[in-house]
Amino acid sequence: MSRWLHDLVFRGRALFDRDGADRELDEELRFHRSMEIESLRKRGLSASQAEWEAGRQFGTLASEAERAREGWGVSLLEELIADARHALRQLRRRPGFSAIVLVALGLGIGASVSLVSVVDSLMLRRLPYGNANRVHAFWMDDTWSGEEYDFLRARLGVFDQIAAFSTDAAPYAPSPGTTGATVLPFLLSAPTLFEVLGVHPALGRLFDASDDRVGAPPVIVISDPMWRQDFGSATSVIGHQVMLDGEMVTVIGVMPRGFFFPTPEIRAWRPLQLEPASAMYKVGYLSLVASARPGASSALVNGEVQRLATLLGTRFTYSDAGDKTKGAHAIPIRTYLLGDVRTPLLLLLGAVALLLLIACANGAALILARTTDRAGEMAVRTALGAGARRLARQILAESLVLALCAAIMGSVLASAGFRVLVSRLPLQKGFGSTVAIGWMSFATAFALALIIAIIVSAVPVRHLFRGGRELGVNRERSDEGVRHGVRRVHDAIIAAQVTLAVLLVVGSTLLIRTVEQIRDIDPGFDARGVTTYNLVPPSGMLEMVQRQFYRDVLDRVAAQPGVKQAGMTNRLPLRDLGYELAVTVEDRPDLAGARRPNSLYRTATPGFLAAMGMRLVAGRGIDSTDADGAPVVLISESFARRMWPGRSAIGEHITEHWGPDPVTRTVVGVVRETHMTTLTAESPFAMWIPLEQAPVQQGGVLVVRSAAPTAVVMPQVRREIAALNSQVAVSRVQTMDDVESTALAAPLRLRFFFSAFAALALSLGAIGVYGAVSYAVAQRRAEFAVRMALGASPGTVLRQVLVGGITPVVFGVAAGSVAAVGASRLISGILYGVPATDLVSFSVSALALLIAGAAAAFLPALRAGHTNPVEALRGVVN
Amino acid sequence: MTTASSDIIRGTADMLILKLLDIEPMHGWGLGQAMQRLSRDALRIQPGALYAALHRLTREGWISSEWRVTENGQRARYYRVTVAGRRRLAAETKAWKRLAGGVELILATR
Repeated sequence: MSRWLHDLVFRGRALFDRDGADRELDEELRFHRSMEIESLRKRGLSASQAEWEAGRQFGTLASEAERAREGWGVSLLEELIADARHALRQLRRRPGFSAIVLVALGLGIGASVSLVSVVDSLMLRRLPYGNANRVHAFWMDDTWSGEEYDFLRARLGVFDQIAAFSTDAAPYAPSPGTTGATVLPFLLSAPTLFEVLGVHPALGRLFDASDDRVGAPPVIVISDPMWRQDFGSATSVIGHQVMLDGEMVTVIGVMPRGFFFPTPEIRAWRPLQLEPASAMYKVGYLSLVASARPGASSALVNGEVQRLATLLGTRFTYSDAGDKTKGAHAIPIRTYLLGDVRTPLLLLLGAVALLLLIACANGAALILARTTDRAGEMAVRTALGAGARRLARQILAESLVLALCAAIMGSVLASAGFRVLVSRLPLQKGFGSTVAIGWMSFATAFALALIIAIIVSAVPVRHLFRGGRELGVNRERSDEGVRHGVRRVHDAIIAAQVTLAVLLVVGSTLLIRTVEQIRDIDPGFDARGVTTYNLVPPSGMLEMVQRQFYRDVLDRVAAQPGVKQAGMTNRLPLRDLGYELAVTVEDRPDLAGARRPNSLYRTATPGFLAAMGMRLVAGRGIDSTDADGAPVVLISESFARRMWPGRSAIGEHITEHWGPDPVTRTVVGVVRETHMTTLTAESPFAMWIPLEQAPVQQGGVLVVRSAAPTAVVMPQVRREIAALNSQVAVSRVQTMDDVESTALAAPLRLRFFFSAFAALALSLGAIGVYGAVSYAVAQRRAEFAVRMALGASPGTVLRQVLVGGITPVVFGVAAGSVAAVGASRLISGILYGVPATDLVSFSVSALALLIAGAAAAFLPALRAGHTNPVEALRGVVN
Repeated sequence: MTTASSDIIRGTADMLILKLLDIEPMHGWGLGQAMQRLSRDALRIQPGALYAALHRLTREGWISSEWRVTENGQRARYYRVTVAGRRRLAAETKAWKRLAGGVELILATR
């Protein structure tokens, strides 16, 4: 410790009192010179002779001072600069390898920094609600009726507030007079929502108890982004009237910046008006959130939820599929809002950490090889106790320079590619906009750089000191010893690297196979060339007018060049989940009452099935005669099979209760099974009712199949719709391909990252092997020359080098496979159709690494086999 | 003229300087003279190397220095060995003796 202090004082003085130190040295040397002259004169030389002789022996005073100063190492700062320069020079000596290590570290840092920002924004930062820790969502989202909500509201127990809500969207214009061509996504919520969340407006007021009465003046609370974009942040917005859904709505409040609920896509909030007299009062379409009393434990909350479920059972009768008394649970609000981002984010962070470690191993190997180039010098210097520290410092400097360059590169990559990365993350819609990369991230990058530098330099430095102690001063032996030791360390690094790489490669193979399996699923429709458009008419639009509008749209769009078919439905498969309703099946008294089956309720026009590429397995589709004909229905294959096993469903009857009165319909067609909700799960039963026979709904989805490119078709269709009626808004213009890949999102996106990481890991591993084997070959050139001079064949040498190079890879693959058995369980939740310990994935990954390792070892091994004995031996003798 | 063989063997300079200063604190020039005299002209050290070594040893904390006035009334910097320097000297002496003993054994082999 005191040595360090001493050193610091000395250096401090050299740095800050440079002039004083210089003057002292000059004086010391002048004294030396005068003593020398005097001594020479005593031996009988003349004054001038003595001066000349002293000068000759001494050199000029100036140059001696220079030499002395060099020895004392000038100042700390200059030394640091010198070290950094030296490090840069050394890295430039192996430009290819340095560049690869730099890129790998840079990518790793960039990805880590971005992911850390995302994790911070989504998982660590407080939600913008005062009661964030107390709010829970109720089970069975989007299924609660107004009646159930009112029932629960009167029996709160441990909850102090509860609120029902439902998302909605309507044509909107910021001020009356302009026609609504944009769609405003908003939330219909009970006035209690803001109390549940514990939030206050930035401006104006929130809903009060009178706002949700039927017939109350229409009001709206807007979000901060909407306030900024549409009203230029004017405070006069309170009391301003906007056009929404064809009526004038008064703005009463603005939410604070950063507030969102339930997603950032929702731009405004309107009071939910429940009318016990209306049919909608009994329809389940609402979600519920409630705030627990302060201090209520999660056990208490869950107990309460069970109690409420039991209470619900005493009042309401549920069908099997929609039984709310079963599986009752409260979901913490963060989980509810963000979904399960935790697993994919942590997985990606883990993958990036692995990649960084692999890149670190390459960095360590790079620097180790460089250090060993000077093994002889090092051994002597370390044996004499001098220089080891200096060498260690140089190693650290090299690692630091490498890591800092990587940090700079990573920061640049992270800020340039952050949006791209976030858009590729499996985040729920809209949340990408809430995450941002900040200065803290760059601090993270540099902290990472320091850690990396330490990891990278640890192995060579440790080796250096241990080498010095073991070797003594015998130069020949020390050289050999250092080399042998270095080979062992290299092998250990390679094995570790391969172990880590196996984890990434296995993970990506499993994900690739998962995506393949999902891709193999027949969704039941053909997405190619299909574009979709949500049509949102104002709610005041008369039923007759709306129906005529849809007919006109279909006619005009179908007549467009390049368009093959056009159809309408109420909800898209895979994208829009939608309502399931109980249906009564004729001839099945066993499926009556609470045991009635549920079915998705969909509408369709004659062109719909063809436009979607869905096919009939029996009967006919919907045609134009159905408009005025008897009530008919198409049902899904699984529905038909389960209700009428072993016989045709055509001509059978089912009764649906969608409209105000039950309608009994004849089954005229069976549609090939289509994945309606997700690709990976079995679809619920589904039925399609002719749009012309269905009660008119708010809006629908226009589906267009075209031969022309979708980019051409989309604006064309929009123009046609606008030309027909400018009051109707068009939203969510999407290709069906898009819809399908969104449904695939989590595995597809994780596959993207894992494949990229695995490819990097594989190449870094191969580069590591190549570097280590090349190095060993170069070091053992003399040995090979001797062996070959003594009669060893090139093949023997080649085999020996190859085996030596692959051995650590084999160890790494074995260790990695064992580790992967444990680690793959972490991603089992994302896998589909592939077990976490899939033998094929494991074998393929192991093989890939072995091949990469063998290929990487082969080139240098070939070089070793071609050693020219004479040439190499000359090198030894010289 | 100094020849290659009479130059201080690289790496032993530190040990010799510590040894000489351990006998008696002295200034740089005196150190050079002492080395030459005690080795009966077998060893010489160049002034540049000498002062570089003195500064390095000072930085390591093995020697310390102070300015004094010589008998002739000139200001000169005198060096002395510290406690740490003495420990260092002992270690280096031991290592050297082992090495020299080894060399001797080999040379004596018939």
